[in-house]
Parts: sequence; C-alpha cells; structure tokens
Amino acid sequence: MKNKTSCRTIEILNLSDKELVDLSTKNVLSLSLDEMKSVQSYFRKLKRNPTDVEIETIAQTWSEHCKHKTLTGIIEYTEEEYSKKTKRTYNNLLKETVFKTAMESNKKWCLSVFKDNAGVIEFDAKNGVAFKVETHNHPSALEPYGGAATGIGGVVRDILGVGLGARPLANTDVFCFGNPDTKDSQVPEGMHHPKRIAKGVVAGVRDYGNRMGIPTVNGAVYFDDGYIANPLVYCGTMGIIPKNKIDKKVNSGDLILVVGGRTGRDGIHGATFSSTYLDQESDISAVQIGNPIVEKKVLDTMLKARDLNLYRAVTDCGAGGLSSAIGELGEKTGAVVYLDKVPLKYDGLVPWEIWISEAQERMVFAVPPKNKKRIVELFKKENVEAVFVGEFTKDKKLTLKYNGHVVASMDMSFLHDGIPKPKRPAVCKIKEEKVQKPIKMTSADLSKTLKSALSDLNVCSKEWIIRQYDYEVQGQTIVKPLQGTDIEVSGPGDASVIFPYTSVNGTKKGVVLSNGLNPSYGKINTYKMASSAIEESLRNAVAVGADVEKMSLLDNFCWGNPNNPEILGSLVRAANACYDMSKAFDIPFISGKDSLHNEYSIGGKKYSIPPALLISAMSVIENAANTVTMPLKNGGNKIFILGVTRNEIAGSVLAKIKNIKDGVVPVVYPKESKEVMKRIYKAINNGLIESCHDCSEGGLAVAISEMAFAGDKGVKVDIDAIRTKGKLRVAEILFSESNGRFIVEVIPENGSKFREIFKGCVFAEVGCVTEDKYVIFESTKNKIKVKEKSRKLLKAWRNTISW
Amino acid sequence: MFEIDIFTKEGFKDSRGEHVLSDILGIGIKGVKKVDYSPFYIINGDINKSEAKTIASELLSDKITEGFKVGSGKQEKKSKNPIIEVLYKKGVTDTVSESVAKAIKDLGITKDVKVKTGHKYYLHGNASQDVLNKIAIKLLANTLVQEYKIK
Repeated sequence: MKNKTSCRTIEILNLSDKELVDLSTKNVLSLSLDEMKSVQSYFRKLKRNPTDVEIETIAQTWSEHCKHKTLTGIIEYTEEEYSKKTKRTYNNLLKETVFKTAMESNKKWCLSVFKDNAGVIEFDAKNGVAFKVETHNHPSALEPYGGAATGIGGVVRDILGVGLGARPLANTDVFCFGNPDTKDSQVPEGMHHPKRIAKGVVAGVRDYGNRMGIPTVNGAVYFDDGYIANPLVYCGTMGIIPKNKIDKKVNSGDLILVVGGRTGRDGIHGATFSSTYLDQESDISAVQIGNPIVEKKVLDTMLKARDLNLYRAVTDCGAGGLSSAIGELGEKTGAVVYLDKVPLKYDGLVPWEIWISEAQERMVFAVPPKNKKRIVELFKKENVEAVFVGEFTKDKKLTLKYNGHVVASMDMSFLHDGIPKPKRPAVCKIKEEKVQKPIKMTSADLSKTLKSALSDLNVCSKEWIIRQYDYEVQGQTIVKPLQGTDIEVSGPGDASVIFPYTSVNGTKKGVVLSNGLNPSYGKINTYKMASSAIEESLRNAVAVGADVEKMSLLDNFCWGNPNNPEILGSLVRAANACYDMSKAFDIPFISGKDSLHNEYSIGGKKYSIPPALLISAMSVIENAANTVTMPLKNGGNKIFILGVTRNEIAGSVLAKIKNIKDGVVPVVYPKESKEVMKRIYKAINNGLIESCHDCSEGGLAVAISEMAFAGDKGVKVDIDAIRTKGKLRVAEILFSESNGRFIVEVIPENGSKFREIFKGCVFAEVGCVTEDKYVIFESTKNKIKVKEKSRKLLKAWRNTISW
Repeated sequence: MFEIDIFTKEGFKDSRGEHVLSDILGIGIKGVKKVDYSPFYIINGDINKSEAKTIASELLSDKITEGFKVGSGKQEKKSKNPIIEVLYKKGVTDTVSESVAKAIKDLGITKDVKVKTGHKYYLHGNASQDVLNKIAIKLLANTLVQEYKIK
C-alpha cells in the first residue's frame, strides 16, 4: 500500500499491551485493550500496520455510540435481595429484555422494529408512522445551544433516514438539568451554570425546530443536582412514511451520493467522545454547529427524489460521519470511496478527518447508475449540494482512496463483526423499602404543602419553555402542550395529538405522543423507576384518548459509568422492568437508544449522573376528533378517580418537600391499569368523558388542582370517598404517587353509563366541579378542610420558571 | 471591509438586551442599569459603501424596528460605556454568515464576500473590568467556540 504524506501509518504490530492502551488514549479512540488486541491480530494477519484512516474507522464503528457494545455484550449479573443471591448471564441484554416483547409478540402492525434508524408502526392501509428519540448530552454540556440544536437536527435526520425517508411531523424534547438556583460558587470549575445550560438548550431546540418548520409538541424537564455538570438532552421526532418506502436495499454497483452540508472539522471524535467522561479539557472539535436551513432543503428535495424512486437506500450521517453511514449501507456489499471528492468547507482536512467528521446536515444515498443524472439535477435545482463520492462494490471490503492512493482497505466483516464481546460484572443489591411513619398534617399545613408542590421545579409550569417553541406549525397539532381557557390560564396537557391531514388525504386518524420519566424513583429502585416511567407514558397518552391496544414504546437509557458493577446492575434491573412491563401490558418497544458514561469529574473525583430512563409512547387512534384535554369544563359535573391510592411516598414530591427518608416507591400493577386504560378509550369514544388527567408527580392534590385552575373552575373533593389500599392519612392520600390513577370529569346524565363501562374496576365518585373557583379537599372523618382559590394555585404553579 | 451594526430604534423593545440585564442581575451582579444589544456583521470583499448600505437596509435590518450603522470597522473613539463584543473563534462553523453571504448574492451583488457575525452588548451603569470579564464568560460568550473583547 502506498501512502501520501496526508495519511500516516500507525505502528501497532509490535506494541505491548500497555502501549496499545496508550495509543487508544492518546488518539481518543476509546478502544479497550481487548479491542486493540483484536485490531492488532487482524493487521498481523494482513502483515502490515494500519493507516490512521483505518484505525479511526475501526474506532468509530466499534464505538459505544454506534455498536452499543456494553448492552449487547456479555453481562454477568448478580442480584441480592434479603441476602439471597441470584445470578444470571446476559449474552445480549437488549435482545433479552427490551427487544424481546416485540420479537415474541410479532404484531402485524409493527412494520419496522429495532433494525432501522427509527421504529415504524402502521398508521393506515398505506402509511406508517416512525418515531425516534436520541440523546445529545455531552455536546450540550459543552455548547448548550449548538449541542441541543444539532441534537434535534440529528434526530430529524434519523426520521429522514428511516426506510427511504419519512416526512417529519413533530418533535419532542425532554431535558434533565442541575438546579437552576444553584449558587455560582457551587458550579464545578469550567462548567456552565445549570441555568445557562437550560437557557441555551431551550434556545437551540427552539431555533432548529422552528426554523425547520416542525412543531415541538411534547416534552418534560427534570431538575436535580446530579445533572449539574452533565445535563441530559433527549430529542425526538415523529414522521409519516408510505408503507412501500419502508424497505431499503443496496445493490452492488449503486453509486454513493453525499447530499447536504459540507464537511469540516466539526464534531470530530463525537462518537468515541461519547464513550468517555467529561472534563475541562474536552475539546473544541467535539462541538457541532447546526444549520436548519440546509437540512430543511435536504428534507424537501429528498422526499421528491424518494417519490420519483431515484434511490435505493438512504441513511443519515450521524455519529461517526461518513464512516458510519457508508459502513452501514455497504455492510453486505462493500464500498469504495474517493475521499478527495467529498465537498469541504475549507482546505486542510486530512483523509481520516474527512472520513469521520460529524459535520451536520448530511445524508448518504445509494443511487442506481441509471438515475445518476436525474437525482443530481433535482438536488441542484433546489440549491442542495449533491456529490457522488464512490460506489458500492461486490468485494465485501471497505476501500478508501485519496488522490489516487489507497488509504484504507479492510474487510467489512472485520469492521462489523470483529469486535470482541466485552464481559462486565453487574451487581444489584435491592434496597429494602419500608413504609414511613404516618404523616400527620393540619389543614393549614396541607394547604402550604399543596402550593409548594405546585411550585416545585419538577411540577411547575414549563410555559416559559413551551411558548418559545412553535407547536402549531404545519397546523396539525390538535391537542397541544398547554391547555386552558386563555393564554394566562392554562394547565399541563398529558400528551399531544397530531392529526396528519395534510400528508394523508381524507384521514380521520391521529397520532398521540407522550413520555414518562422519573429519576427520583431511580435513586431508590431502578426497576420501579422504569416500570413507573412506562406506565406514566401510557397513562399520559391514554388520558387524551390513546388506544392502549395500539401503542408502542421507545426506551432511552442515560446512565453513569457501566464499568462500575453497581451502576451496570441498576441498569440491568431497569432493562428487566422494560421486558416485564411490555410483556404484561402487551405493548412492544419499537426503537431505543442508550447513552452511557454520563460521568463528570470535579476536582479529580468522578461522579455519575442519577440514572434516567425516558420512555416515549406513540399511539395511533382511529378518530382524532375523539380526544379530550385536562381542564375542567362545567360546574355541576361529577369528578371520578379511577384506580387505587396506595401508601407510596418514596421518591415523591412530598418526600422531597418534607424531607421524608422512608417510604415505598410506587409499584405498577399492569393488569389493573391496563383494564382501566382500555375502558377509558371506550368511554372517550362513546363521548362520556369531558376531561381527563393523569395523576403522577405530586399525586391527586396536584392533578386535581391543575384541572381546576386550567379550566378556571372550582372543585370540591371528598377525601373520604377516595378508594385506598389500607388505612392512609390525609397527606398520604393527597400526595401519594401511586400508579394507575386518572381523574375524570363526567356530566351527571352520563354517570350511569360511565359506571357501567368501569364495572369491575376500582373507582369512585369523589366530588364535583364548581363555578365558585375554589379548590376544596375535605375529610369530615379527619376534620380536614383545604380551601384555596384556584387562581392562587395557578399562580403558585406558573411563577417558578419565568426567566 | 465594512462593519454593519444593527440596533433597536428608540421606542421599540430590545428584548435580548432586557434578557441579558435580567441574567446579569440573576447571577448577583449589581450596578449595571441597562443593556443594549446589537448584532453586527463584518463583510470583507470588493464592495463599496453604497452596496454595504443596501445590504444593511435590505437584508440585515428590520426597517420598522431597527436602524443600522455602516462603519469601517476601525477602532472608533472609545465610547464611555463599556461594550462587550462576542465573535466565533476561527474554524467554528458560522451558519448565519453562510446564509448572509448567499443572500448578498440574491440581492444582486455578485462579488465574492466573506462574512463574520458577532454580537455587541452596550452596558450602562457601573462595572469593573473584573465584573465585565465575569459577565462575558458566564453569560455572553462560550469561550469554547467564541471569543470576546471588552471595549
């Protein structure tokens, strides 16, 4: 092999173990010793040293970000409960837990599951809907605006790169930040203040989403000190795709077309960088800057090319850049790429930089030679740069050339399957949870606590964020994130509904998007955190009218360092919950993503983030008109609570406010819950429900207050009528965060029909809507009466975040 | 070379300036009474002043709410209030400047130009050099990708 000066040979054949590790660290390859040894033995067989291009390609392809090697590797798991140990070995944790229900149940309406850039389920006879949620944590910690913007840009490209391309209809965004009120002096050296991160991230999502003309319709924000130097930024996109465009296939001889942005030094080592922890020296080239206008042009033009059948496959350039995109498309065929043909932003890039750059807004297509002229003309007409850089071959090899010289030549099989399976130990000691001492509170105390709960950072209004997003663009958002009587009076919607009538002519159907997240449960019990997040996402969707029988889930694990057996153990527990719940609810996961190594160092000491599992749910409903919102509608209507209230206080907002250390984390009872969810769908479709709200953070007191102030109404609730399990104190009834509960408003005439539908479920009529605008919770048995003006509660809820 | 400064006209809301002021107060810095925000564009290329004015009025400013100033970019006489200027570091992709360069062509000015974008914050009130540095680093410039100057 001949080399030009722009490409170096890396001495590896004769390195000792220690030297191999040093080489990996020095070049930010993030490869373990075992992996470096596999590389060494491959090149020993070839009897030559690798080039820098080859080493970098391997590092990208084998990165945590691209291969998920921890969760697909071998995990030897030990669980300890009451000093009883059980052991289990996972050969591929994801396949054996999260994916498993989808594989077992094999539902006809699941059109593409865990194999493409996004999961796809059926929308109607002709179309599918695709949904994907990504994380962009590390870049957002360093450059919040650019990091979050490119997070949205990246996930939109995932939707463009699913099958032959879906049309994006809506974005979602979920964030975890440090406490925005942190004193400046307590922010770790060299890191941004959490409030600055929060503002930058919101601005990034706003500008990218709004400029691309995609509404941002659903989200959540969670604040905790544990995210102070390592925020979490989850970005999601949902899109619609014709069923006959879901499959892609690359043929030998197809040409490789790169479309969109030019390649620069941006985001070099993003994929391998995400496998390392953050410190002050994290460097500039890891930062990516987004350009939504370019991506919008790519979107519009590529969908035209798709409908003209001009290409056979497409994927996006995400982490790992061209290296990952072309490597994936050419896995079964082989590919030859002329790196000097790739359009550059500026001169001076060496071949390996061109190959792995994570410059944004690029897509890679496989184009049959006969369409060569037409596709380039189409892109040119819309001012989108499109350049052929090589072709897919038959030799199952990856060959890279630069100015006529071969700079890399490796077998695709080594690149994709040559990675040794890592083996990691994982341990989980299950903490015993015991019921706290009875919580006694006076009426005045309860009133105060209710206001504190409403203004708590994790409950309060996120209006300041939501109103910056265009959640109306495209004109298809029929259930919106803020719901109420006017702009000053609103409450938090449980889920959003998109009615895609502009993409699908004459349709009546809708798509429901929701999420569930609660890291505070995870600090005690990650199994319960995961199951609660799953149920919360389902409840949120069901509360607006989703069909629990046609629901799908996405998982997004953000965890600390998996080399720590206890941290990995807590992840295994959460993954197990994913399987157990999706099996019990019979709801498949269709796609997911993980971000591990969320760890940062302060003064030489390393900290891992509190584990966070975001669950996103998507449901297709038959009639988008049959949906409800959460504000109370009319005085005199009855209030029902569906589900049982249990003494489950651990991890709750009440526990945080009152500093209660003991308690039980809410458990999920899938059989009970699913039955209630099925019947809510029926009741909504029979027109029996006026408003419905999920009960989660802050419990019944918060949920009922939100419904009242959003509708500018009053409500009177008889605490003694609430169905509980065992004997609970008033504070426990009002603030327990038990799963499986909904609050529903029903007009008196529909009362008996409503009761008929829910026969056999646990539910109770607990009060009524009033026009006097007072929120009243009363227990004659305990001589408790909490009475607050709903406007006052609205103020408590609204005023926390108004930056 | 021309430097085009855009500013909010008297009587219109300068919301970015107001936000920066509230951020300054938010991190516990007292003494700053008002902040005026002004985006600016440095245009390099073979264009004349009247073309630069066309670019400023037709492309970069809103005729109703904003005014502009076309300067040579040389150090003008020192203003009595401090100004913090923020620009991208060399090598960082500046997408707005790319769009501006394209839009200048769309205006019919076909000469090749290079554009840089930046932000100016005019601070009114009292602030020591240390405080100005703190405001710049903590709020206005991400020194990973941007550099700032205090004038």
